[in-house]
Amino acid sequence: MSDPRPQPFSVRPQDLPTKAELPRLRVAYVKDSRLAYLGHLDLISTVERCIRRAGLPFSVGNGFARRMRIQFSSALPVGASSCCEYFDLRLTKRMDPQEALGRLEASTPRAIAPYRAAYVGSRLPALEAWLNRVDWSVGLGPACPADELFDAIREIARRGEVRYLRGEKDKVVDLTRTLCGYSVGEDETGGLSVGVDTLCGAGVSLRPQVLLDAAFALMGRPAPDAPRVRRHRQVHEEDGRIVEPFCGSDAIATSSLF
Amino acid sequence: MRAPRENLFHLIEPLLPHVEHPSRYLNHEWGACEEQDGPFHLCMVYADVYEVGQPNLGVAILYNNVNAREGMSCERCYLPWKDMSALMRERGVPLLSLEGAAPLASFDAIGFTLAHELVATNVLETLDLAGIALTSAERDVDDPIILAGGPSAWNCEPLAPVFDAVLLGDGEESIVEVCACIRDARAEGLSRADLLRRLALVPGTYVPSLYDVVVDEGTTRWGRAVPRAGEDVPEVVLKRCVNDFAATPAVAQRIVPYMGIVQDRLSLEVLRGCARGCRFCQAGMTYRPVRERPAEQVVSCGVEGLLASGHDEISLTSLSTTDHSQCEAILNGMNVALEGRGIRVSIPSQRLDSFGVDMAAAVAGGKRGGLTFAPEAGSQRLRDVINKNVTEEDLERAARNAFAAGWRRMKLYFMIGLPTETDEDVVGIARMAERVLEIGREVVGRGPKSGVSVSISVAVLVPKPYTPFQWVGQLRPDEVRRRQQLLLHEVRDRAIRVSYHDADVSLVEGALSKMGRAGFSLVRAAWERGCRFDAWTSEFDFRAWEEAARSCGLDLEEVACEEFPLTAALPWGHTSPGVSMGYLQREWRRAVEGVTTPDCTRESCTGCGVCPALGVHNVIQGVRS
Ligand code: SF4
Repeated sequence: MSDPRPQPFSVRPQDLPTKAELPRLRVAYVKDSRLAYLGHLDLISTVERCIRRAGLPFSVGNGFARRMRIQFSSALPVGASSCCEYFDLRLTKRMDPQEALGRLEASTPRAIAPYRAAYVGSRLPALEAWLNRVDWSVGLGPACPADELFDAIREIARRGEVRYLRGEKDKVVDLTRTLCGYSVGEDETGGLSVGVDTLCGAGVSLRPQVLLDAAFALMGRPAPDAPRVRRHRQVHEEDGRIVEPFCGSDAIATSSLF
Repeated sequence: MRAPRENLFHLIEPLLPHVEHPSRYLNHEWGACEEQDGPFHLCMVYADVYEVGQPNLGVAILYNNVNAREGMSCERCYLPWKDMSALMRERGVPLLSLEGAAPLASFDAIGFTLAHELVATNVLETLDLAGIALTSAERDVDDPIILAGGPSAWNCEPLAPVFDAVLLGDGEESIVEVCACIRDARAEGLSRADLLRRLALVPGTYVPSLYDVVVDEGTTRWGRAVPRAGEDVPEVVLKRCVNDFAATPAVAQRIVPYMGIVQDRLSLEVLRGCARGCRFCQAGMTYRPVRERPAEQVVSCGVEGLLASGHDEISLTSLSTTDHSQCEAILNGMNVALEGRGIRVSIPSQRLDSFGVDMAAAVAGGKRGGLTFAPEAGSQRLRDVINKNVTEEDLERAARNAFAAGWRRMKLYFMIGLPTETDEDVVGIARMAERVLEIGREVVGRGPKSGVSVSISVAVLVPKPYTPFQWVGQLRPDEVRRRQQLLLHEVRDRAIRVSYHDADVSLVEGALSKMGRAGFSLVRAAWERGCRFDAWTSEFDFRAWEEAARSCGLDLEEVACEEFPLTAALPWGHTSPGVSMGYLQREWRRAVEGVTTPDCTRESCTGCGVCPALGVHNVIQGVRS
């Protein structure tokens, strides 16, 4: 719970701490097993409740709705799992990140367990915009020969764009700006594992499923029924240089479970 | 044959990418009771989708009580939405519980919550998806025992052939006794018929198969249920009532859902029962007597509950929260204890006559969304008929207080089709709404920027069992529509929004409220014609209901709009909440004369019969003003 904070009517607005002065705790967490099916809005309210249960001194906005000051990394597609989700939480006062992480762990379902926490620069851009490099892996059954799928993806990459339907709407993704790498591997049972590395920002992003659907359509094969999509890396990339989410933080707290 | 108990989540998981809102089927929420070792297994079913059923307090209470018992486990189940049930049928996946993902057909017992009449076809859909025979008579010795209870169990006859037993009244104690009885009877190797006989010995338990329906000149066309020859069962089964309500846990909701649900907040039942005596209100008659929790308990348990759940809103629920003798102390205590935490305290709907200036300031802790009042009728004469003891002045004062305290939107609930209603009463609804709007403009200011608006929601009276209006016929749909149009025509200001209930939905609800056991054929025929989720406007299919009625030789309008003689034995007379028929008849006569009856928590006993019949009494913590 947050400490009682001065209300706007009892203190002049200019005397309140601005958001930028509040400590910014970054937390990394997973999204696994059946909670992969939790939609983004439901995930947000679930995490907010975990924070309330943990009793962290979270800060509340001054607006009418008095919302918790929290920002999340970009929404995962429903059904996709991840080992690298993040949120940034503004606290009213600094607390030991190890203690914060411990309390959060104790009040969070295992399938979205937090595993790392540290304070980050207060003036960094919002997480969703800053984490612009996103890498995925997709597990498919033995859908087709690996080479054939690789060639299909290469052909689509060469064409430079994918068109697809989202609901009723026609969408186009510019692959020259979003696709930065791909690979196709095969295990001993013939199951395929596809790696898709992407860049996103300013309203453009590439979901791996879109690329794979296009590749299977090109091959004239039905898209696999239930692919296992997993986000395995989210970082900041600038001029080819990678910045990890906790880069520059001192005292990074880590969960004993991971 | 009982299905084997096993975890079948792997059958559901591949379906999740193909359905709307997969989070409906996830389970493992925070606070869910994951250890389900039994050996006795009960599954509580709310036969609607997760987000509608999960907030139900009744299910939460029974879930906790059974799980707290050594050797007993309780899981939950909701009805999958149509997309999921179609996939399940296509792939041969049976209906599963949430916690253990075990087939419903593997449970010892299944308990349905009857939250309203329109859930009837969903009950059949649930059983069918589970692969359990629809009627008690068709079930084997090993099959789960199908139980029911809840607010609309007061006329359970149209579903009586489905249920093995119906638990009347407060279920927190009786559910445990019923489960123990089933467990012991099974251990003794009793036949199904003998097990049901044993169940009928648990007080408050009605076993329909031990009663025959007799139609004679003293009954309506639906007859009355009488003990079957040779069965030693009570002629009238009386409800159960928890005497020491304050000794029950104040916060029953421990499960924190992942998905946004209807009423997504922590609920705390601050009191049970209401003795205002509104003559249309079934809950007011059937939940008596009134039992309040002490203010300290409400505040401390509320704060603890919020810490444990992480909700950002707490709702103080009951039939009439502002009637609590310590309501202001509770609201102030909550607001002080929760200050600065971004938590709202809300009350479902306000009493007009108890909404003072202090209350206006204390409710909602700073949030000023919409505020709801229920004057119910548009004239003083008609409010006296229905015993809604509020006056025009009460409404004006409450509206003035609310607008002055910062509210801008006011919602007013009314009914049409009330006995003795005239066009003048209907027009009166429009005039009341205009008056409230005018007060808002006086207080807040005129012009579109003031944001003052009034919306009125108009329901159709569905005469319910165990109310003084139980003998009345429902208003015919054509006449309902004429009065709705009259009201629409009378409302001239654009800042007043009118919404009204569909006359056809109300007609089906009315028929289900009135029918006796023979009405089961209608429910079954409607379900066979695809009726599901009848309470959802998008899903309700009146044509299918009409066809179903025709196929059974019934006419919905004739059924719902039929008046019963005051002296007739009623189809629900054998299951009683303790309110005496004599009292209800007296209340009906007073209604017609426009004479009101006071509230027994403020004045002396008015003789409804509940207290002597059940050996209970009102428990009021302070003094009600
Ligand atoms: S018996 Fe009397 S005191 Fe008890 S609920 Fe009825 S009217 Fe009230």
